[in-house]
Amino acid sequence: MAPRADLLRLAAVADALLLLLATGLVVFYAPADAVQGVVQKIFYLHVPAAIAAYMAFAVVLVGGLVYLWNESPAADRLARAAAEVGLVLTTVTLVMGSIWAKPIWGTYWVPWDARLVSTLVLWLIYAGYLLMRRIATPGRQAARFGAVVGIVGFIDVPIVHFSVTWWRTIHPPIETAAPGALPPAMLLTFAISSLAVLLLAAVLIGYRYRLEALRERLAAALDR
Amino acid sequence: MRAIEAVGLRQRYGTRTVLGPLDLVLEEGERLAVLGENGSGKTTLLRLLATAARPAGGELRLLGLDASTERTELRGRIGYLGDVAGHYPALTALENLEFFCDLQGVERPRARATLELVGLAAAAHRPAAELSRGMAQRLGLARATLHAPQLLVLDEPDAGLDEEGREVLAAVVAGRTLVLATHDRELASRLCQKSLDLSRRGLEVYR
Amino acid sequence: MRAYLRVAGAVARKDLRTELRSREMLPALGQFVVLALLIANFGFDVGTGGSRIAPGVLWLTITFAGLLAFGRTFAAERDQASLEALLLTPASRAAIFAGKALAAAAVLAACEVVLVPALGVFFGTPVLSLPLAAALVMVTIGMAGLGCLFAAIAAQTRARDLLLPVLSLPLWVPFVVVGGRAVQVALGGGGELNGALALLLDFDILFVVVASLAAKFVLDD
Repeated sequence: MAPRADLLRLAAVADALLLLLATGLVVFYAPADAVQGVVQKIFYLHVPAAIAAYMAFAVVLVGGLVYLWNESPAADRLARAAAEVGLVLTTVTLVMGSIWAKPIWGTYWVPWDARLVSTLVLWLIYAGYLLMRRIATPGRQAARFGAVVGIVGFIDVPIVHFSVTWWRTIHPPIETAAPGALPPAMLLTFAISSLAVLLLAAVLIGYRYRLEALRERLAAALDR
Repeated sequence: MRAIEAVGLRQRYGTRTVLGPLDLVLEEGERLAVLGENGSGKTTLLRLLATAARPAGGELRLLGLDASTERTELRGRIGYLGDVAGHYPALTALENLEFFCDLQGVERPRARATLELVGLAAAAHRPAAELSRGMAQRLGLARATLHAPQLLVLDEPDAGLDEEGREVLAAVVAGRTLVLATHDRELASRLCQKSLDLSRRGLEVYR
Repeated sequence: MRAYLRVAGAVARKDLRTELRSREMLPALGQFVVLALLIANFGFDVGTGGSRIAPGVLWLTITFAGLLAFGRTFAAERDQASLEALLLTPASRAAIFAGKALAAAAVLAACEVVLVPALGVFFGTPVLSLPLAAALVMVTIGMAGLGCLFAAIAAQTRARDLLLPVLSLPLWVPFVVVGGRAVQVALGGGGELNGALALLLDFDILFVVVASLAAKFVLDD
């Protein structure tokens, strides 16, 4: 059962407005950071994208588990849609993070930071997932393999993070931005932009799912 | 109990239907020959009956069990020789069989006994890579019958067999429930009581 | 349990016997190891402190040798068309998987037996080192568990040679990171070894369990 087109369109329009509002807040309302200046505003996209990416990959995990449980094609379709959207969001996270890191840390990439490494590994795992889905025989086989890679991959990510954190303790610590207490204006901006990005992710997954469902229905109809 | 009970059985690759819908019933003890031109779906049907593939539609019960949910149980009761035998080339004929004894959970001495049954005792210690096509086919027959299956599914087992090999084949299938795909109508009528021609879609009974 | 051990043992024995008779993989892997070290020897400036880069060279060589060894174990079954016959038995999928992973791990371990002395020759690292051996054994087990899982997937798809590294390498990162540290310590860098080994053991247990559970879904159809 595909999500209804009119509901999806409604959500898309609502999210477009929300994104506009978030952009407005980021540019005109949120104060510039005392230490980092304007660059800090990247975080209003960077952090929500990271959160949304993790949630998308959690959907891949759950979709995979459900598929292995009852072989429902819908669960697999959802997992696949979420993996694609999650990969795009991870890309956004990495690129935004690098742009931020250049002026703040003086380099695009810090090889021993756990968060950077695990985000990159996350990207690589799901890029591998999507490549595998493209190569495997569509249908049951691709769905099963997808479920396995989606589950094992999700388990691996916190372990990567943990290993690098463990490894780093014997290296000079890197400088991280002190979080501190956020002023209310920043908090509000962050909340609105997070909501906008999460809704965007949901809408994209919905459209991707619907596209796949329609394609399968078309194939079934042509077959008959 | 029925060995095979198929209702509306269908298979497709991608969007192309390659088999069915097909209804088929085989009682225990009966031997069925599956005939048909190249590409008529013989191998596809046999793979379904051997639980090597899952049907795209329809129902399939084998030996009273469901072919898609009770596969593990079925695999201990079905013997299958596919269109490619698939022996381990570096292992000897005997070692190949002994390996499958371990996997099937039957005693290893069965390997040698079965090898003698198909007339390969002399080649027991030759690597499978050095066996001729006919000998490899006999080894395949031995592997398919190693665990005394209740249903035997053979995909063109006569390919590459000499006269003696055909006698072996006849001896192996005697008294068993069998599905056999072949192009040889004479062999089919000799070994089987029924035939199914997938090109014409008709079930015939030999008299 | 007895059936599990019987099947796993039979599969591992079959694979190792095949390897010992055909001698396809081990000579090739041995040569690969020496060639990799030779390339590293010229690629890096070894003149100044070869032992500093030795752990990195060791890791690159092991991961890529592992990809070859694990990929081969399932690709061979598929090329010989024996995978189908193997799977059309009632034997437990987890046991079949365990047997194949065990044999593949043994092949990689044999390859490491060549690698460590060769590393000693090229980079002057210690050859007989118990900590090094311990670290390598633990890493090999975990990498084999995950690697064979993806090798089984890759072997059943088109373009399988491409898929295996893409799936395996990112998931091996924990082993490379922690194992890498253990090897640095073992090869004379400062630091504590036991913590790293304990962590590797945890990873081994986790991934061997996960891979065994997943084997059922990967080795079917």
